[in-house]
Amino acid sequence: MSHPRGRRPSRRQLLRGALAGGALVTLGLPWLEALAAGGGFPKRFGLFFWGNGNRPERWTPSGEGEGAAWALSDQLAPLAPVKSEITVVSGTSVKLPNLSPHYSGACGILSGAPYDEGNSSFTQPTLDQVIAGEIGGRARLYSSLQTAATDTLGDSWSGPGARNPAESDPYALYQRLFGDTFVEPGSGGLVDPRLGLRRSVLDAVSGQLTALRLRVGAADQIRLDQHLTGVRELEQRLARLQEDPPELDACVRPTSPDTSYPNLGGRPQIAERNQAMAQLLAMAMACDQTRVFAHFLSAPINDVLFEGASAGHHDLTHNEPGEQPEVHAITVQCVEHLSTFLQELRSVPEGDGTLLDSCAVLATSEVSLGQTHSLDEMPIVIAGRAGGALRTDLHVRSVSAENASKVLLSLIRAMDIPSASFGIDEARVTESFTEIEA
Amino acid sequence: MPSISPAEATLRRLTEAEYLNTLGDLLGDGLLLPTALEPDVEIEGLLHVGAGQTALSPRGIEQYEDAAFLLAEQVVADPALRARVFPCDAPDPGCTEAFARTFGRLAWRRSLTPGELEQLEAIASEARAVLPGEPWAGHELVLAALLQSPHFLYRIELGAGGRFVGTELASRLSYLLWAGPPDEALLDAAEAGALEEAAALREQVQRMIADQRARRGLRAFFSELLGLHELDTLTKDPAIFVHYSDTLGASAREETLRTVEHLAFEQAGDYRDLLVTHTTFVDRQLAAIYEVPAPTLEGFGEVLLPPGPRAGLLGQVSFLARLAHPVSTSVTRRGEFVRQTLLCHEIPPPPADVDTSIPEASSDAQTMRDRVAIHLEDPACAGCHQITDPIGLGLEQFDGIGRFRTEEGTAPIDPGGDLDGVPFSDALGLGFVLRGHPDLPACLAQTWLAWAVGHPLTPSEGQLAGWHADGMALQGHQLLWLLEDLATSDAFRIAGSTLGGGR
Repeated sequence: MSHPRGRRPSRRQLLRGALAGGALVTLGLPWLEALAAGGGFPKRFGLFFWGNGNRPERWTPSGEGEGAAWALSDQLAPLAPVKSEITVVSGTSVKLPNLSPHYSGACGILSGAPYDEGNSSFTQPTLDQVIAGEIGGRARLYSSLQTAATDTLGDSWSGPGARNPAESDPYALYQRLFGDTFVEPGSGGLVDPRLGLRRSVLDAVSGQLTALRLRVGAADQIRLDQHLTGVRELEQRLARLQEDPPELDACVRPTSPDTSYPNLGGRPQIAERNQAMAQLLAMAMACDQTRVFAHFLSAPINDVLFEGASAGHHDLTHNEPGEQPEVHAITVQCVEHLSTFLQELRSVPEGDGTLLDSCAVLATSEVSLGQTHSLDEMPIVIAGRAGGALRTDLHVRSVSAENASKVLLSLIRAMDIPSASFGIDEARVTESFTEIEA
Repeated sequence: MPSISPAEATLRRLTEAEYLNTLGDLLGDGLLLPTALEPDVEIEGLLHVGAGQTALSPRGIEQYEDAAFLLAEQVVADPALRARVFPCDAPDPGCTEAFARTFGRLAWRRSLTPGELEQLEAIASEARAVLPGEPWAGHELVLAALLQSPHFLYRIELGAGGRFVGTELASRLSYLLWAGPPDEALLDAAEAGALEEAAALREQVQRMIADQRARRGLRAFFSELLGLHELDTLTKDPAIFVHYSDTLGASAREETLRTVEHLAFEQAGDYRDLLVTHTTFVDRQLAAIYEVPAPTLEGFGEVLLPPGPRAGLLGQVSFLARLAHPVSTSVTRRGEFVRQTLLCHEIPPPPADVDTSIPEASSDAQTMRDRVAIHLEDPACAGCHQITDPIGLGLEQFDGIGRFRTEEGTAPIDPGGDLDGVPFSDALGLGFVLRGHPDLPACLAQTWLAWAVGHPLTPSEGQLAGWHADGMALQGHQLLWLLEDLATSDAFRIAGSTLGGGR
């Protein structure tokens, strides 16, 4: 596999800001001001998704409540190293009609809205984009990032027909985040006259889009608006690159993944890719390059050959007989990868705590029992305290099969976004899942 | 010819293949092309339909911008490329302006307006001022600006007075016939108003079909029709399929595209023969799977498969391996493909809340036929699986990667069945039944027209496609005849309303 290329290696124009001295604009990030005022680190949100669900009878923890009152189940056992950092919510349901196998569930649990089968599209923004729309712009470079550990585009959507494709090649993600344009804290902004020229070109592109917008129908206007948003975000990113990066203790350029982790013997190197992506995302947040991510370990209906499995994951969920020990074992692997991912976030120190403390990570799948595409007993694990807004080391069981959207509304509010509701149709809620809120 | 009312015209983003073909035609060979691009989206089975509906992500915008500079930097850095791409060999404003005008016309597929040229000149002028040590900076920035413009990235074909005319029609034609941009001759004809005249239009279409680039266009369509892009991520368990390798998907795609190209261009053959032909093109890897001698050590060669069940598209790895599981076959997926893709039959999606498992192999149910019998007995499943599974069972003599076999476990495989009442005894027989199925040519015409216009067909457009299929039948079902007919069809030239549109 050839490596997708980042920007050209340091050209003659590429000089570090340190050489240019006081010509640089000093960046007054709200975060730094907040820190100076004792306001703590910025909140971050993440999604960790795996496909094809679980085996619910071996998923639900025993006991309810906090700390010693609850214990991890068979399938959740790999989360033991981070038990004190997580909350498990069991027993909730996606309330939408289950019309499209897997996708009704994926769309329901991620966006609280029905799936558009005819157009193969989500119909509302997914949770990561709802949150990115509010807090994403405060990050230095990217309002959100999407990654995957297998070959999938993921399911982060900004709206109908507007998917944010996931990057599944860690090397490419490294180049994008920590390649030639990366500047270590304290070394000043990038001095590259081309940055200004690129912004001039983007200005021209914006003008073309705006003019074109007047000539097209309503659906195209929305598409062009999204194009324009992307252009403006890129323009702003180029401007930020010219500014002095914030002084963040934990921010260092990580080691480059030395490979794109191609499939080996028909099986993806899922553990390696997952860990590499986790490390890159953790550092991207430590450097405030982004505050929102969506990470897809695998996709709905994926037929990935997991380690040790005798068939593809989706195939097994339907065709493995009995209690499905192989499906169980694959679910355990998915949870192991989640555990690794969370431990990577926790390994980054921030202030007196860790990066994970300021995060809320929602880990979930599109169904519970894959065999029947069940939307009851949805698998939900939340990690991190969202800067103190969420409780942890907790198992809450919903005895009345509450609407899973309530949990999502809690997460939105935990990001200090004062939303009155989340979801539409049967998935709509106005009350959050208060048991998990601190 | 039936009258039509088409769907609203929308902007069509260049697919990845079209984008790369366009760059190739504009800049020539020898450049490092971008590899990370906004992925295409399949809607209603076609990337072309997705390209008319989906929005570009912020990541995609970033990638196109990066690609534009990647290419512009390469061109200005290489004297040979500069000589090829620039109309004049002087790094002065006059040459930059000439370049913007001539290259811009090819890249945007129309002449640029004075205002657009002024905007580019302003960028060039700023570049010269900011980068005084780089004589070609003006050219570089103009090129980078042209290649990230919406006028390059989208096909802006909105129609005028209810018809596609002039340069809009030119780019519709070139992306239908070449999967690439118009050349100067086509743009000249378009800007002279020649495409509005039936004889001149047909002359252009015939010229374009006779051009080498038409092979690329045919490949692009069949690649989408047959879902061959999915072969990029083909996954098989090599412990079960010892003939699997990571390059098998690419080889299988090439086999199928060569087969189609050969039938259309070398043989001027009958489309329906794609279902029964024993002629195919294999490399060593595919030869091993088909158990025929490899025709060549390197690359692909033509072979005539021995008499037997393996023939046509349904005997090729691109179909058999793609529409199967990583460790086994899938009678449902194979049958679904035949129904939906080849015959345009609708199959409702499976209900979400049922257990869809099929029983595992046992002593009294060794073969897939025995095991799926339960689908066909349960009324909740039978409605759809009766439509798909009997077709797939006819192909069970090919395993999950496409190797021929006669037994599953120790039980013999019975590949017999019937398709819409016409019996067959094995895969070759199935191919012949399909070849004679009345829906086969109409389905091709419908899908090709949908690909050409970039939206799911309206009922009247579907009827017109059927009319074109009838015409093809009178011409021995020749593929290129149908293509010429579609390219000159009303369905391809009548524009749906955009502003205040409805259908």
